[in-house]
Amino acid sequence: MSQTWFAWALILPAILFIAIIVAWPLVETVRLSFTNAKINSESYVGFENYAKLMESRKFQQTIIRTFYWMILSVSIKLLLGLIGAALLNATVPGKALFRVLVMPPWVIPIAIGMIGWLWLYNGHFGILSGAAQFIGILDGPFEFLAYKSSAFYSAIVADVWVGTPMVTLFLLAAMQGVSKDLYEAAWVDGASRWYRFRRITIPQIMPVMVSMALLSAIWTFNSFEIIWILTEGGPRGATTTLIVDTYKVAIGNFKFGQGAARAVVIVILLAAFSGVYLFFLEKVNRRYGTK
Amino acid sequence: MATLDLENISKSFGPAQVLHNIELAIEDKEFVVFVGPSGCGKSTLLRIIAGLEEATEGRVIIDGDDVSGEPPVERGISMVFQSYALYPHLTVYENIAFPLRVQRMPKSELDARVREAAEILQLSDRLPHKPGQLSGGQRQRVAIGRSIVRNPKVFLFDEPLSNLDAALRGGMRVELSRLHRELDATMVYVTHDQVEAMTMADRIVVLNDGRVEQFGSPMELYHHPATKFVAGFIGQPNMNFVPGEIASIDGDTVRIKLDGGGEMNVPVEQGDTAAGERVEVGMRPEDITTGEGFEMNIEVLERLGGTAITYGKLNDGQSFCAALEGSVAAREGQIIKLAIAPEDCHVFRRDGRVMRRKSAPPVFDPEKLSQKGS
Repeated sequence: MSQTWFAWALILPAILFIAIIVAWPLVETVRLSFTNAKINSESYVGFENYAKLMESRKFQQTIIRTFYWMILSVSIKLLLGLIGAALLNATVPGKALFRVLVMPPWVIPIAIGMIGWLWLYNGHFGILSGAAQFIGILDGPFEFLAYKSSAFYSAIVADVWVGTPMVTLFLLAAMQGVSKDLYEAAWVDGASRWYRFRRITIPQIMPVMVSMALLSAIWTFNSFEIIWILTEGGPRGATTTLIVDTYKVAIGNFKFGQGAARAVVIVILLAAFSGVYLFFLEKVNRRYGTK
Repeated sequence: MATLDLENISKSFGPAQVLHNIELAIEDKEFVVFVGPSGCGKSTLLRIIAGLEEATEGRVIIDGDDVSGEPPVERGISMVFQSYALYPHLTVYENIAFPLRVQRMPKSELDARVREAAEILQLSDRLPHKPGQLSGGQRQRVAIGRSIVRNPKVFLFDEPLSNLDAALRGGMRVELSRLHRELDATMVYVTHDQVEAMTMADRIVVLNDGRVEQFGSPMELYHHPATKFVAGFIGQPNMNFVPGEIASIDGDTVRIKLDGGGEMNVPVEQGDTAAGERVEVGMRPEDITTGEGFEMNIEVLERLGGTAITYGKLNDGQSFCAALEGSVAAREGQIIKLAIAPEDCHVFRRDGRVMRRKSAPPVFDPEKLSQKGS
């Protein structure tokens, strides 16, 4: 009996910690989503917040935009990460230096990195606009973040810049885990470099790549500060993803109830997405795993 | 199938030279084993034959063609790796089929070849499984299967049995010998295990420090080791070396005065030796019998059934080992009287070279090679 008591006492701090940090905010968010809470008043409104979201075309567009943002950005990160890892994995002189040079976008605080990108994208002083004018692509200054479509893709580029190093390093680590003997055996059998990459490297790193894609997808989905610093979700909502929208409603307009409803929708969407994803992960593991 | 000639192969990694002017001529259908302690360069030599490593100097000639600059696949070799190097994400079938897929072989022919290889290696019922589900011995066979589907001219094996437990290793030795007979192929096999070398090889290359110490049949190496190194490496338990000095040369024999006392007349070729030269007398433990020769204080006695291996010290403190009859009346702590026939002794000069024994069992059996040709 006293042993049970002691065991509970030992895990109590952890339980309290999780309750305060995770459970309480979660429960509170769900509760708020059924109210019209503002700064100093709140009353129960049932499903009204959710009903509003369902009817809103703007909100549907935001969901679509968010998934488009996520899928495009993650695909580019994975592709660049794969190419980068393959290059860093090759036996070239000075590869240690290259490996270090991959890190800065990830190491630099995002806010500082984004201010750098703000200057790059600046129409009058930015190097991108300037260079494009110099080689004759543009006739005059171009403000990358001022137009709906260019702002969205410019934000994607900045997001890719931040997210690619980690994907690269994870894939590089996975590649280095592949036994050298496999490549030698394939070489003895006459497999070309490309064939070895396709038939050995890719399948061998596939489980890591798939897990990495899920992590990267969640981070990209929830990526806030990059968009906020660059465009604050504009112009005219062109870069407003779900997380930015939630912030604008809840913190910008003090509509905590509606903001909470959005947050709950995000949780549900991400959970559903992860569920589908894990289903495919299982399939990938069966195909490329060792069992 | 194919002959394999190595001409003056040298290899350096930076300032360290690991192979020194290796010259070998390996016959068609021969099973040749490279053996030596770790770091002797045997694996490097194999990798040079395979084309995985480039020789600093010298030529690799397969079936009369100089393949030195060729990539591995152009050399007509296949290789089985120590780690097996199976593709863990592919089934046994796809692992064996891999080299044929690389060649883009038509499906029906590929299927026939894979199934034939699986048949030879008793893997037919394992084809749909992945390597992770197989036992060590089965993985080994898959690796061999992958190497035989290509019908290579020369098979290369890099310590293929070293990851197996002792019992399985014995079984695989027999299987490999059987496979060699069935495939009728030239095989080069690297190992540090002298038992594997002795049991499987037609001829053995003993390598030491990047040099060929001796190239010959197992029995030639056993009865006529060219150097002290070979004598110490081949044979189990290891040969005893007893220091001494040439007292005189009497006609057919050399009279040796042992440091620990006693003299013996050993029938060996004298060459340019003279009285007074320091030598070492090599005595194989299994040539030693009980008798009125010299005394040993038994420290450890290992009874294996058929034989009893005794380890101990001679009167002058020299460590010694004798493999006696299994039923010998002896126990640890006892002093036992031993003897050896002088014609069974080997004599090594100071530089390690042997003075060739005059009377030893016939060693080279030309029948063995000619049978393979038929």
